[in-house]
Amino acid sequence: MRARLKDQIPTLLVALLAGTFGVLLLHVTGMLAVAIAADSVTGESDTVALMLPVVAWVFIVIAIYVSAVVTSNTVATVVAGRTRLIALLRLIGSSARAERGRIAREGLAVGFAGAAAGVLLGTLAAFGLERVAVATGVMPAVDYQYLNVSVLLPAIAVVLTTWLASWVGSRRVLRVRPIEAIGQSVESGREELVRRRGRNIAAVVLVVLGTALLAAGIVVGLVRPEGVLIGLLGGILSFSGVVLAAHVVMPPVLRLVGRLFGRSPAARIAAENAVRNPERASRMTIGLVIGVTLVTTFSVTMESYRAMIHAAIEAQPEVFAGVEGMLNVTIAIFAVLIGFSALIAAIGMVNTLSLSVLQRTRELGLLRALGFEARQLRGMIVAEAAALTVAATLTGLVLGFVYGWAGAQALLGGAQGQPVFIFPGIPWAMIGILVVAAGLLTAVASIAPARRAMRVSPVVALATD
Amino acid sequence: MQIQPSDLGLIARVAALGKRYGSGAGQVTALDDVSLGLRRGEFTAIMGPSGSGKSTLMHIMAGLDTPSSGQVWLGDTEITSLPDSALTVLRRRRVGFIFQSFNLVPTLDVRGNVLLPFELDGRKPSLDERMWIEELYEVLGLKSRLGHRPHELSGGQQQRVAIARALATRPDLVFADEPTGNLDSRTGREVLGLLAGASAGYGQSIAMVTHDPIAASHADRILYLADGRIVRDAGRSTPEEIASFMLSMETAA
Repeated sequence: MRARLKDQIPTLLVALLAGTFGVLLLHVTGMLAVAIAADSVTGESDTVALMLPVVAWVFIVIAIYVSAVVTSNTVATVVAGRTRLIALLRLIGSSARAERGRIAREGLAVGFAGAAAGVLLGTLAAFGLERVAVATGVMPAVDYQYLNVSVLLPAIAVVLTTWLASWVGSRRVLRVRPIEAIGQSVESGREELVRRRGRNIAAVVLVVLGTALLAAGIVVGLVRPEGVLIGLLGGILSFSGVVLAAHVVMPPVLRLVGRLFGRSPAARIAAENAVRNPERASRMTIGLVIGVTLVTTFSVTMESYRAMIHAAIEAQPEVFAGVEGMLNVTIAIFAVLIGFSALIAAIGMVNTLSLSVLQRTRELGLLRALGFEARQLRGMIVAEAAALTVAATLTGLVLGFVYGWAGAQALLGGAQGQPVFIFPGIPWAMIGILVVAAGLLTAVASIAPARRAMRVSPVVALATD
Repeated sequence: MQIQPSDLGLIARVAALGKRYGSGAGQVTALDDVSLGLRRGEFTAIMGPSGSGKSTLMHIMAGLDTPSSGQVWLGDTEITSLPDSALTVLRRRRVGFIFQSFNLVPTLDVRGNVLLPFELDGRKPSLDERMWIEELYEVLGLKSRLGHRPHELSGGQQQRVAIARALATRPDLVFADEPTGNLDSRTGREVLGLLAGASAGYGQSIAMVTHDPIAASHADRILYLADGRIVRDAGRSTPEEIASFMLSMETAA
């Protein structure tokens, strides 16, 4: 059966970005490795050559993890939008498993298309970047092979994770009841509370296990740079726990933030909306929490790294001459690349917010019928988006600071030959950029939904279908 | 030996059926000790005012909803406690549905919609079934529309596609829920004529839920529900007889 693939475009975009990111990053680090090996000064130190691929894969795994979480949330929203069609097919005699399988297969196809385009785009971007770097003299001309089998690894990982994330995100299909196809007579099923307990237990287990691994990573990192991989695993597990428990973690933060918006009816309803459906609120915010956590993690780690290098330059200026320039280039490249992950997260936020407005057409119509002005409705949507963004940014900053320090400690704690305590650097500039970006995101994410909400006529609230 | 519904010439049967929502003081009774049998090959209308429980009865008989008490059979299969997977196969092979809002799959053309039950069953229609479907296209006047999508069709045409889809698998029983509710009266009459024809010509058993006396006058038998109970079991009636009985029920309440 031909599927309606239009609502899968966000998933495709996420797979494309993740694929491009992974391929580009492998190309760039490959190039840097060649350049460093060719350089007379840095070529001596094999620590850098050893750390580059490790760091590259850390970022790739992070990006793929982000895209997996975003994709599973996107697919959950896609399923919510298709409930009526799925119910109809169930009614005519399709099994829930077949319907879920269909969504997962769509995920596989979309993941494949996105990853294939990502290999192409990533390689092209790397090629362009090399040309620019060589032309501007940032990097010497290098003999780098683009036909490299290893760059297919992130593409394969993207295909598999998109497939898996679609499967995970499509579990709501199992709760669609055939009777929902008949429409007005039956209210659609509420999200079951029974499943929550198992989920909460899993979240606690993940957080505890992840934190333990994170600590182990820090300890191992005091003597070996591989400690960061253990720490990464711990970070992923503990953060997965936070993501799983988002419906518990986010509402209190949202409630707190909601108080900041004053007592006008629009603000009060917006704050209520953000908290009323914890499942939906967590689905909308978690993408952004991940994005902000990532950016903060990255910049805290990098700021700590920079502080360490600066200390080393002051101590032995002759040994570390020229490292400063290379470091700045590396940080700049990584800053751009981490932006990819944040972009992936932002797509998740924009997508879920606009879909959630789409799914609440009737409720918005009711508010209009009860006397809300179109302007107030827009204010409500913007306030809702702002509440979600601010809550997600705050949560992400706190988490990112913890993970950033842990990452820096695990990565650099033993890099100088003896165990040291890495003082966390505070990246003020990055925090400033983040706040501005969050504000912009609020505006962008609420434009389309607000316009749609303003167009809702009071009549739809009273119509039966 | 236990007597099976089919021994009595029944295609569907419910016994002592009850459906209650909520609990305690706020409890609502939608169906209260309903027992009835639908005869094979008959076109039965289930009538009643809003809130009489007629839709709930249909949902339970089709296995879409579970009763609070009592038993339900489709053919000789007791479906009261069937697991979801068995109910799914049952809906696919032995039940057809026709709705007020047509409910066609928007991305599929007419042929795709009609063949959907076979596709969901993972098989191609047999030669015999293909001839039957061709006949349905002919009778329902869909021959020239097979490549059209639902949005390219009028309401009446969409409902004909839904009828073709419901009849294609030659199910034991077709459930029709207010099939003329979204149609103008002339198109509605045509659709009712087609349903009555399927029953009289091909022996198709049909259960139609409606509150429209004209729609019900096409049926062989009319069951009246009020407040979750069967209050009358009548044969073929004129719209006037049906309307006056409905009116008397409303004023008695």
